[in-house]
Amino acid sequence: MSDRLLGAVCVVASAAMAWAAQDYAAAISYEPVGPRAFPLLLAGGLGLSGLWLVLRPSVGAETFRGVPWKATALCAAAVLAYALLFQWLGFTLATALMAVPVGMAFGGSWKQALGGGAALGVAFYLLFDKVLDVVLPAGPLASLLGGN
Amino acid sequence: MEVLQHLMDGFGVALSPTNLLIAAFGCFIGTVVGLLPGLGPINGVAILMPLAFAMKLPAETSLILLAAVYIGCEYGGRISSILLNVPGDAGAIMTAIDGYPMARKGLGGVALSISAWSSFVGSVVATLGIVLFAPLLASWALSFGPAEYFALMCFAFACIAGLMGDAPVKAGLAALIGLSLSCIGLDSNSGVYRFTGGDVHLSDGIQFVVVVIGVFSISELLLMLQAHHSNSGMVTQTGRMLFNLKEMAQTWWGTLRSSVVGFVVGVLPGAGATIASAMTYSMEKRLTDKEGTFGKGDIRGVAAPEAANNSAATGSFVPMLTLGVPGSGTTAVMVGALSLYNITPGPALFTQQPDLVWGLIASLFLANVILLVLNIPLVGVFTKVLSVPNWLLVPGIVAVSSVGVYAVHATTFDLVLMTVLGVVAYLLRKQGVPMAPLILGFVLGDMMEQNLRRALSISNGEVGILVGSPIAIGLWTAAALMLVVPLVLRLLSRRAAPAVQTQNRAA
Repeated sequence: MSDRLLGAVCVVASAAMAWAAQDYAAAISYEPVGPRAFPLLLAGGLGLSGLWLVLRPSVGAETFRGVPWKATALCAAAVLAYALLFQWLGFTLATALMAVPVGMAFGGSWKQALGGGAALGVAFYLLFDKVLDVVLPAGPLASLLGGN
Repeated sequence: MEVLQHLMDGFGVALSPTNLLIAAFGCFIGTVVGLLPGLGPINGVAILMPLAFAMKLPAETSLILLAAVYIGCEYGGRISSILLNVPGDAGAIMTAIDGYPMARKGLGGVALSISAWSSFVGSVVATLGIVLFAPLLASWALSFGPAEYFALMCFAFACIAGLMGDAPVKAGLAALIGLSLSCIGLDSNSGVYRFTGGDVHLSDGIQFVVVVIGVFSISELLLMLQAHHSNSGMVTQTGRMLFNLKEMAQTWWGTLRSSVVGFVVGVLPGAGATIASAMTYSMEKRLTDKEGTFGKGDIRGVAAPEAANNSAATGSFVPMLTLGVPGSGTTAVMVGALSLYNITPGPALFTQQPDLVWGLIASLFLANVILLVLNIPLVGVFTKVLSVPNWLLVPGIVAVSSVGVYAVHATTFDLVLMTVLGVVAYLLRKQGVPMAPLILGFVLGDMMEQNLRRALSISNGEVGILVGSPIAIGLWTAAALMLVVPLVLRLLSRRAAPAVQTQNRAA
């Protein structure tokens, strides 16, 4: 079943790709092949492989059985929130916050996860920003962590 | 001899204090990443690649770091195979078959040390292989035109599709997705923006780092949620820490044989450490297992696959360095790393960047010595790493990955895109779509399109040029064979013993 779904998504995606690519054309063309050919070729291939999966899905593919959906969704959401807050809250705070749901999904208690996350946040900030010269956002804690 | 001179110069580069220190650091990190179940070489290389760039390391130093991590992973994977019966990375699956029973018999220390030794032999044999064959291949490849290159890249995809797993269609699909992603952004030939949706963040295309981290770090930890492992089966009594001469003699020929086979398999695009170790394990079993002790803790069953996975990993540098066409997911990531430095690997690399190439090759020799030292006396340090709890480890991986992505452009957009790609990759991987072809497609996309367009420009639009030379025809034929032969073999062997299930997750 999931193979059919994957195939159908690919077919739709390839159609969208071909539709978007149809009017890519160079203003002045110096070469016989313009910017349109390669994407169209790929869209064709994508559509064909999608069709193949729709018509001949592998049998007994129960790939999504036993997936811990709640924990997976929670982790994905936590990482997304982390991505959004990274710059705004600063690396240290964002990391400590992200570690709570992610750490708990991996079997830690909330105290362990928060403590671990705070430690990671401070340690990595000092390591990357101060020692290795990889600039990270300091956020509201800037003055505490020695400014920029 | 010219090659020896180059190699000496390479050692000059590799022995500089910075590079030596970086190599040692890479070896350590690699071993740790390798032994952690769920994380393999591609994850380690993907996570470290942007950091190396952000730390403003020079190109050869970055490459040395990544290579040391890659080889270190192949050493590290065996530790958890032997002590936990959980392979630390895909190349170490076969090592668990005899390694864990050995550990249960109180021979854990012997299994660990002999596998470190055979890893060393495998890597050194393969590095010698690089020294001998890579310059030859590179000088031959200098005659390739755009049509030959296009055919070569199609051959690489055919290899991956034919050799990886049971679903060539899904591997092809992955490659197409990767190629499509690489089309996003400005088309440099015509000035047309493709698939950007008018978003300014995409006008330069998707950053390679974002794709790699999303696909190999974020999706990996979502997968790890399901594969919780416990350390309850861990063998802590390892007994004698070093193998004796008798055990070394017993495994010597098998190790050498497996090293050579591993190197050949590694050079082929698509096949890698996983296939090499599975192949050599069954080869050794057929050749030497007269008493039926393989699978019950036979030392030869530990040595052979370990030699093979290391030599295959080392061998996979050959197509990357000489042709610029990476043969595995991990080397594809390295090509992407080089592109951050505006270096395009290919046959000209040997003449234009000799310091980079020979410095890397010399570093491989040194890294293996470092790894041997790290892995025999200090193996106890690494087993401690296995007791780091996942609730600390996983947030740490998320944080380091995000630092790497953020370091490139410092935008929230890239971080969000990383997450989205990670979730999509997770869904694809759950349905058996392998990620190595995707990353290969993304890395090769631009080169493939450029070569196709250049070839057709030369011929004024005549498609015949793509099959216009003996080399191109040979490559197309080889590509077709790569797709057809495994299919036929699979049909033939369906009645015979069920094929060894190899895990392609990390490959």
